[in-house]
Amino acid sequence: MLDISLGQLGSGSTLLALAAALYGAVAGVVGALRRDARLQTSARLAAVATFLGATAAIVLMELALLSDDFSVSYVASQSRIDSPLWVKIVTLWAALEGSVLLWAWLLTLYGALLAVAAPLNVLRPWALAVMQLVQVFFLGVVATAANPFTVLPLPPADGPGPNPLLQNHWMMAVHPLLLYLGFVGLTVPFAYAMAALITRRPGSEWMTQTRRWTLTGWGFLSAGIVAGGWWSYEVLGWGGYWAWDPVENVSFLPWLTATAFIHSVQVQERRRMLKAWNILLITLTFALSILGTFLIRSGIVSSVHAFGDGPVGPIFLAFFIVVMLASFGLIALRWDQIRDRAELDAVVSREGSILVGNVLFLAMAFAILLGTLFPLIVEAISGEKVTVGAPFFDQVSRPLWLLILLLMGIGPLLPWRRADSQRLSSNLAWLLGGGIAAGLLALLAGLRGLYPLLTVALAGYNLVSLGLLLLGVVLPRARISKRSVVAVFRSYAFENRRRFGSMVVHFGVTVIAVAVMASSAYRVDEQLRLEFGAEVPFQGYELRAVDRFMEESPQGVSAGVEIVVERAGRTLTELRPRLNLFGQNPQLIPTPAVLYRPQHDLYLSIAGRLDPEAEFVVIRAVQSPLITWIWVGGLIVILGTSYALSPGGRQLRERQRQGAVRA
Amino acid sequence: MRRLAYGLIGVVVLAAAGFMIFRALSDSLVYFVLPNEYARDPGEYADRRLRLGGIVEEGSVAFDSDRLQLTFLVTDSIESFEVQHRGSPPDLFKENGGVVVEGRFKGGIFVSDNVLVKHSEVYQAPEPGEPIDVEALKNSLQ
Repeated sequence: MLDISLGQLGSGSTLLALAAALYGAVAGVVGALRRDARLQTSARLAAVATFLGATAAIVLMELALLSDDFSVSYVASQSRIDSPLWVKIVTLWAALEGSVLLWAWLLTLYGALLAVAAPLNVLRPWALAVMQLVQVFFLGVVATAANPFTVLPLPPADGPGPNPLLQNHWMMAVHPLLLYLGFVGLTVPFAYAMAALITRRPGSEWMTQTRRWTLTGWGFLSAGIVAGGWWSYEVLGWGGYWAWDPVENVSFLPWLTATAFIHSVQVQERRRMLKAWNILLITLTFALSILGTFLIRSGIVSSVHAFGDGPVGPIFLAFFIVVMLASFGLIALRWDQIRDRAELDAVVSREGSILVGNVLFLAMAFAILLGTLFPLIVEAISGEKVTVGAPFFDQVSRPLWLLILLLMGIGPLLPWRRADSQRLSSNLAWLLGGGIAAGLLALLAGLRGLYPLLTVALAGYNLVSLGLLLLGVVLPRARISKRSVVAVFRSYAFENRRRFGSMVVHFGVTVIAVAVMASSAYRVDEQLRLEFGAEVPFQGYELRAVDRFMEESPQGVSAGVEIVVERAGRTLTELRPRLNLFGQNPQLIPTPAVLYRPQHDLYLSIAGRLDPEAEFVVIRAVQSPLITWIWVGGLIVILGTSYALSPGGRQLRERQRQGAVRA
Repeated sequence: MRRLAYGLIGVVVLAAAGFMIFRALSDSLVYFVLPNEYARDPGEYADRRLRLGGIVEEGSVAFDSDRLQLTFLVTDSIESFEVQHRGSPPDLFKENGGVVVEGRFKGGIFVSDNVLVKHSEVYQAPEPGEPIDVEALKNSLQ
């Protein structure tokens, strides 16, 4: 009988993957330096081998989780026999070691894709080598400091199961995966940027080649952040989705720099400007994703999502420093080639608006980073323990977002280089008209306060902007071609996927802006005492606690209250907020029940304990106007991004043409 | 000339942004204090949002379920203050347990809008009558 445990096999696969990545990086660099095609090919094969090794490790970990093999340390510390199948599967990314393993695996997947599918050119060997170096770091962490495969000599009979907050909602299966796909996806343009510096080709080649990777990574990151917000909303029980918690902030930072990046690359493609700036942005994006991992995992910033700490934090900090030194050193070394020689013709131009928008995104990233790190700075200087409250983040990000919305409306209407003042003023008149009309409507509807009114006004202004953009291309074409406006619109949207996709994304952002404003400025949050059988009014609803209920499953115990929700004498639904207990974990997890409605959500959560003797129950009731539209807006952003990425229109025809030429 | 102008605008914008950020930061710093630290210098924390940490004093908890008013004393064995909180006591809230409340002092009473229960493994609550290791308490609540 072969007597090898899953843990040993897993460690072995990780080490094989690590060795392959290390070999690939060395062979790639030497091969690129010597222009040795055979070495370069072997580096590509190594990338595939790394992927296979890492895949084996992932499969072995899943096998260990599914077969309850508690001799594997990660399974022993995170899994439980009675967990349902889906929980066991996603337990892979429920804690640090598994998450790093997953991150490493995604890196190897992207590396293998790059090795197999990326077009052959001067950049590819170097980009692949950079990817492989990053893989070496992650696989190295998996093999050493955060080894999930450590074999326990005395395996326990059962484990505690994953963090109860994570088992409480299926969203948890999706949210981290999306974030990692985003982070890893944005590693590809970073690798190409470094390759461009090394090979002294800082033109726009590296970014046109990674355009799809960048947009895909950005899309996943956006989806991951929205999904995380929805998870918080559905699980954490306070009726909000974003608390400016350090863990949330550090996922938002790379998103901000990546968003700046996907805008400013256009300036370089069109105007050959901002070379250094773009390299800087993608470097920051990558570095911030590493810094974020360090901040969360080191436990140096206190967070409600305390996901444990350990030796991994400092290792990530060291890697962050190495990445910063190496990439900034490289930027300094090549400064002569990447500094801009062209000058901005006019601030009032497409590139001017993108540049200002970039500054705003970076300012927001800087302020949020400062706010997140400030408690550390204060403690280091004065020894006082402080936290930076949500008001700070609201105060700095709101005006910046309003300015970004302002630019989002006008920017796409401005031509490159220099705006013609007559067209500009006619466009501006329309935009301002739309903004003022929307603001007045909001005022009539009873909205008060600068921030809500400005947000609605800017939303109206942005809708007009999208209308002008579409009409500006569709109407002249329809006039010339004598086709119907609808037909022209359809062919325009089909042909110009990137452009039309970006309009859809901007529309989604507008929807989110209004929803965020409404749900925070007009939120009602109360604790109510519901006596069983009695009707209690809340914001036009009548809430009636009918009975307690208790459900037992192998997973745990769930106790709650059935609450009938009526409005204007009509029963709308029955909500069942509950408290969940998972396995042996003593922590009660309040699980809210939500009535989703387009105008506002009704969110009920049990406050405190559920006393089986008492004739009443205390409920936290939250009403948030338009909050559902945040998730809808997020979906629109994702759809727009996917549409921009979908092959079709021009690309399809280009490919056909190339095919024809080849034939 | 143009470069200089852009540079100047940039500097002004950055300075303004820096000033706004700094002001917003200092306005929204929430200090974490133990009762004795607050008692030493109440003036320093006047009109500020605070996080007050300590132990829920034994026998001090009262919950008026009609008005949903929770009252208890939070102590570090040197000083103690009354905390008023509107809402149900959170799960795992218990006497002699660690707690952090967020809110403001109003006339010597701490009016809280958030009660966080801390069940730290690091800190061992002492036997009644024994003095509390204040430093260890503070670290365990942070």
